[in-house]
Amino acid sequence: MPSIKSILYYSFHPVQLRSMIQWKVWHEPVHRRDPSKESKELTTCFHYLNMTSRSFAAVIQELNPDMLVPIALFYLVLRGLDTIEDDMTIPIEKKEPMLRDFDKYMKTDGWTFDGNGPNEKDRDLLVHFDEVIVELKKLKKNYYDIIEDITIKMANGMADYALAAENNKGVETVPQYEEYCHYVAGLVGEGLTRLFVAGNWANPALLERMELTESMGQFLQKTNIIRDVHEDFLDKRRFWPTEIWSKYVDKWEDLFEPANRTKALHCSSEMVLNALKHADECLFYMAGIREQSVFNFVAIPQSMAIATIDLIFQNPAIFYSHIKITKGDACQLMIESTQNLRVVCDTFKRYTRRIAKKNDPRDPHFLEISAACGKIEQFIETLFPTQDPKKAALLAEQQNEQAGAEFKENLILVGGIVGVLLFISILMIGVAWLCGARFDLMFNGDNQTISSVATTTAAAITGAHDEL
Amino acid sequence: MATEKPQQKLSLGRVVVIGGCGFLGHHVVNLLLRSWSCSHVCVLDMQCTKNRRPDSDGVEYVDANITDSDQLVKEFARIKPDVVIHTASPPAQGSGNVSHDLFRRVNIEGTRNVVTACQQTGVKALVFTSSASIMSDNVNDLINANETYPIIRGKMQSEYYSETKAEAESITLAANRSETAPNLLTASIRPSGIFGEGDMQAIYHMVNIYEQGKHNVQIGENHNLFDFTYVENVAHAHLLAARALLVTAAAETQPLDHERVDGEAFLVTNGQPVYFWDFTRAVWHAAGSDKGPGSAWVMARETGLMLGFLSEVYFGLVRKPATFNRQRIIYSCMTRYYDITKARRRLGYEPLVGLDVGVKRAVAWTLEQKKKERKA
Repeated sequence: MPSIKSILYYSFHPVQLRSMIQWKVWHEPVHRRDPSKESKELTTCFHYLNMTSRSFAAVIQELNPDMLVPIALFYLVLRGLDTIEDDMTIPIEKKEPMLRDFDKYMKTDGWTFDGNGPNEKDRDLLVHFDEVIVELKKLKKNYYDIIEDITIKMANGMADYALAAENNKGVETVPQYEEYCHYVAGLVGEGLTRLFVAGNWANPALLERMELTESMGQFLQKTNIIRDVHEDFLDKRRFWPTEIWSKYVDKWEDLFEPANRTKALHCSSEMVLNALKHADECLFYMAGIREQSVFNFVAIPQSMAIATIDLIFQNPAIFYSHIKITKGDACQLMIESTQNLRVVCDTFKRYTRRIAKKNDPRDPHFLEISAACGKIEQFIETLFPTQDPKKAALLAEQQNEQAGAEFKENLILVGGIVGVLLFISILMIGVAWLCGARFDLMFNGDNQTISSVATTTAAAITGAHDEL
Repeated sequence: MATEKPQQKLSLGRVVVIGGCGFLGHHVVNLLLRSWSCSHVCVLDMQCTKNRRPDSDGVEYVDANITDSDQLVKEFARIKPDVVIHTASPPAQGSGNVSHDLFRRVNIEGTRNVVTACQQTGVKALVFTSSASIMSDNVNDLINANETYPIIRGKMQSEYYSETKAEAESITLAANRSETAPNLLTASIRPSGIFGEGDMQAIYHMVNIYEQGKHNVQIGENHNLFDFTYVENVAHAHLLAARALLVTAAAETQPLDHERVDGEAFLVTNGQPVYFWDFTRAVWHAAGSDKGPGSAWVMARETGLMLGFLSEVYFGLVRKPATFNRQRIIYSCMTRYYDITKARRRLGYEPLVGLDVGVKRAVAWTLEQKKKERKA
């Protein structure tokens, strides 16, 4: 049942409601998984996928049959790792080696883990992890190897962070912040790109430009980190690097003080600027995808991210509440992200301009943010140019022939209007005169008033029409 | 932004900067002294009074007029430059017969004289300051335009200044490896929206608008991206081009087409197109404005054009030049930004100074300048 609040909201936002209906009714997945042909274990895996992931489960299950299972299992393996890393009830002495050995567990028949705290939301996944292992073993070797490799890298990264967190070392510098995003998101991207290329669903050139893949992960992760700052603050976690926030406040807590809102906003702008620099490479990456279901899979989160940046930019609410894009907007974004690159570029451009519109000249990063927006627009132009230099030459020629005539045309137009006004005025004065108006008195007595009115009007015109 | 020039300063030999006391020219001189190694730096300018380096820097200042061909040849023969950087040009603003005549004499004839002097005195490299405006018809947008776009000439070019710059560029580039003087290599730099310390045009005008309290209007939607370029970056591109020409001159074989610098024109910007009114707001903020977003009164482009037209008619009737006119409106609503891939690839160009820092420096200078003017 929709809440009263949401009924009210959507009755005032019919466009969003329309998007939701449109998506629910008309969206036809390119591929649909067929549970009737699945093994018992695989069905269980999808059950856990649906349980652990809200946003990703749907897009994963619309992937083409070749990518469907590897990516679903990849997701579950990483979710399993995450469940160990996140659990504060597991002491570090146990957690660290567990993380580092996870790649061995995932090939041990029957391995399960029931040591998670009772409140850990995805503990069931690890309790039944043996079923994931059964399916992992059925994967093509080249797919399995990629998943294993990423698991090793990520698990070691997580172990390092868990150790550092134990010693109360938060994220200090921007490179450290980006390194963190690399471990939690960049590596996932790397694994996905390698899977896509291995299955020939993406251009192998993406492997030579791994920075594009990295940007995909960084953009998503940074967006989430900015959006979730308050939630993380309540959980006593911090991902915003000291190098950035310390420019605005002395202590991290101060960022959330209502008295420091302006400083906090300036700080969030710098974080946004740092995230926006990845947007053009994300679009570039998407140009390398060769198949619709994979394209949808990568494009949906990116569109959501740029829309989220628009939502959080210059928005003080991120410091006292948890905000999210509305369901209606999300549906609209999904519609736009499941077509082609051009449509996604239009989405990016639309949100870029919304971001630019909110940009505040008083913000220390005003011009840099404007330039970051400009960079996205310029990149879209390189993908889909609006101008053709050859046609531009022709067009210029035609337009210029008209240019000379334009002034004359305007003159005729204005002349016509003035003429009509003059005619009507004379007519009215004539009628007044016929009715006995005494114009002679006007010129004798009130002479002064009229001339002074004329001067002020002239002054007003000159004033208004002075330099721009 | 790229870091400062390499530790090992690259050499440019004997360098002449024409217009070296002017806005761009003196930045070229400054950068030459700071980041490059030269055996001699000589400035030729009409009157070498302003923007001079201290004597201890060893820059030679010569009063010379490029419209005087004989003097130019004589000076070149004496100085024996390897590199000539030709930045001299009158300010672009101005119309009417007097300024048209000036544009023609300095930009076209002056440049022809410079080319001739280079050819006659064995100069190896000539870099000419052109303008990105030669690609604009001043009405239509230029969206991510690159060097393959047509140069707008003749009847199609509504700004006579741009027409003369275009002609001067073609004279310069035609002189590259010419039959009569095959040893002279030439290149042309086309900057867009140049601003910085010493600029009495763009930023100065914008600060005026702020001081007159007229910064509360915005014409159009502000979706139009525009390329503004900090002057030091333009200077940097000139010196990179000069260096590339010297390297080409020293090479035994001709360069491949895709890496050629000689005989080529290069668009140069900050590589940071921004929304037109954002740039003005950044300037106004740096000048002291405390206005936030959405506080400006947005006027539709069409309304602006109509008011501009009325202003033109009014000023036409009182026989004064209309400062508020349709061209101004068109400019402020025009999308005009460029693709500088060619300069990046072939010159190794990367802007040295970001837009943000550039604006702050330029506005600080302008405010200082205005203070001096008020005192005077």
